[in-house]
Amino acid sequence: MTAATATGPAATVRGAPLGRLLGAELRWVLRRPRTIAFLVLFALVPVVIGAGVAIADRAGGPGRGLIGAVAGNGLVLPVAALTVSLALLLPLAVAMAAADALAGESAAGTLRGLLVAPVGRLRLVVMKAFGVLVVAAAATLVIAVLGVLCGLVVVGWAEGQMVTLSGTTLGFGEAMGRVALAAAWTTGQLLAVGAVALAVSSLTEHPLVVLAAVLGGVIVSGVLAAIPALSWLQPYLLTTGWSAGADVLRDPLPLDGLGESTLRALCYLVVGAGVTVARMLRRDA
Amino acid sequence: MTAHSVIGPAETGTGPVATPAARVSGLRKVFGSTVAIDGIDLEVPAGSVLGMLGPNGSGKTTLIRMLLGLTRPTAGTVELLGHPVPAAADLALPHVGALVEGPGFHPFLTGRENLRRLAAAEPLLATADIRPAVAAALERVGLTAAADRRYRGYSLGMKQRLGLAAALLVPRRLVVLDEPTNGLDPAGTRDVRRIIAELHAAGTTVIVSSHLLAEVEATCTHVAVLQSGGLVATGELASLLAAGTGGLIVVTPEADAAVRALRAAGATAYRTRDGEPAVVVSDDGPPAPEIIALLVRTGIPVHEARRRRTNLEELFAQLTEDGS
Repeated sequence: MTAATATGPAATVRGAPLGRLLGAELRWVLRRPRTIAFLVLFALVPVVIGAGVAIADRAGGPGRGLIGAVAGNGLVLPVAALTVSLALLLPLAVAMAAADALAGESAAGTLRGLLVAPVGRLRLVVMKAFGVLVVAAAATLVIAVLGVLCGLVVVGWAEGQMVTLSGTTLGFGEAMGRVALAAAWTTGQLLAVGAVALAVSSLTEHPLVVLAAVLGGVIVSGVLAAIPALSWLQPYLLTTGWSAGADVLRDPLPLDGLGESTLRALCYLVVGAGVTVARMLRRDA
Repeated sequence: MTAHSVIGPAETGTGPVATPAARVSGLRKVFGSTVAIDGIDLEVPAGSVLGMLGPNGSGKTTLIRMLLGLTRPTAGTVELLGHPVPAAADLALPHVGALVEGPGFHPFLTGRENLRRLAAAEPLLATADIRPAVAAALERVGLTAAADRRYRGYSLGMKQRLGLAAALLVPRRLVVLDEPTNGLDPAGTRDVRRIIAELHAAGTTVIVSSHLLAEVEATCTHVAVLQSGGLVATGELASLLAAGTGGLIVVTPEADAAVRALRAAGATAYRTRDGEPAVVVSDDGPPAPEIIALLVRTGIPVHEARRRRTNLEELFAQLTEDGS
């Protein structure tokens, strides 16, 4: 034990450096086999859509809607892939990350190891939120990057331009900006999901409860939104704004939908974070 | 966490300190309608090795969890190395190593990676020291050969050793081990005993809970016995064992003749109850040398004479059976 030196007698050390904690959390998240599996899955989403569109194109009948717009217009592919994934797959990945972050660590008996080290309870929440953020950002990044590559290679160049849903064309640079905007907006929505999932995760020690709660929430929101008598509920549902991602494909860029859904996500984020912190400060581990 | 910037002498000194390593008073913990701990007052002197004994469900683990700030007491106060817990637990815990409720690690990481993750959270460990500290801790528990295998494939004993290594990552002032010998083979048990002895020699306070009484008797200086959430006995092991016993045991094949001879000489004597051909002589009669001389003069062969001492097992049985 000679190598382990205490950092002087001053004992002003109130905890390990935050950067080191975040680094450890990052390694932990990215070493986990299920994170890797999910990222591979997300890489496949644009590939599958791109291949499907290319085959349909050759067969002569381009589809309709967002996917149809991909035909011969490869730079739309990343946006289409993000929108499709946001419906269920991305929330699932984020919920899983949040489930492992607190409930999973508690179930594995590893949470008390961190608390006894000690990692302060507030810092623990920061560390865990960072881990969820990493998964959300990595997942959207993989979809966006693979979407662009796949769009250019499999679907086709369209002379390096993006044909918007409004019929105008955008240059490559601006098209990339639109894709980045879609990815950033999607990450924001996922952070709202992640915050709520983390709150559920702080309340239970069964990771499955977190998955069930988040997926159940997404599905129930969709059902509620489909009932006309409950239309007054729509402004409060996170999923209401999830079609706004396709707005980046319009010209000029309409910001109402993107802005409103981001604001809504922020509300969910604040509530989720508040519940998580309040619970973790008192939780038995 | 509340701000708590006062730095007492207990933190600056590494030598013997007057502050007890741990002190609890009026401690009570209720889970729903179950009273897990009730009215416990306990002081763990710095530098001691405290064996915490008690039947399953007597509250040992709950007490340890409250000591470490993992669970909030319903009532009462906890002090760890002089700092109130959980309010200022972050001042005490860097100096505390703990293995609580069995080892908890991630199966997809190797033993070394698991330890590095915990080491990254240790406030007293400089970043450059993480690798050597992890390697040293693995070496100390004899896990170097298996360090780069995934935790998933570890045997129960190896998991326990890794948990022990996590508690020893940094030189500690207090090490808390909850059932450290669970799942260990005899060699592993000896290793734990050796590690506790090394910690003790280095001046570290050790709190070890165990249901293996021989284990506690071999390693501890102090004992606390729990029964149904209350403390039924606490103190130095030697004085606890000495209390309420005494007398001389004389082993002889002619026990009945010995009893007659001793009683004739005015000593209180009776045959031992466990069937051994021996006689128990109380302390209130003649001193031991005279008793042996008397027996030899009478022509009774004496094979062995020793002081009677309760072992911990008897004491434990008495304490925990009386209480229930």
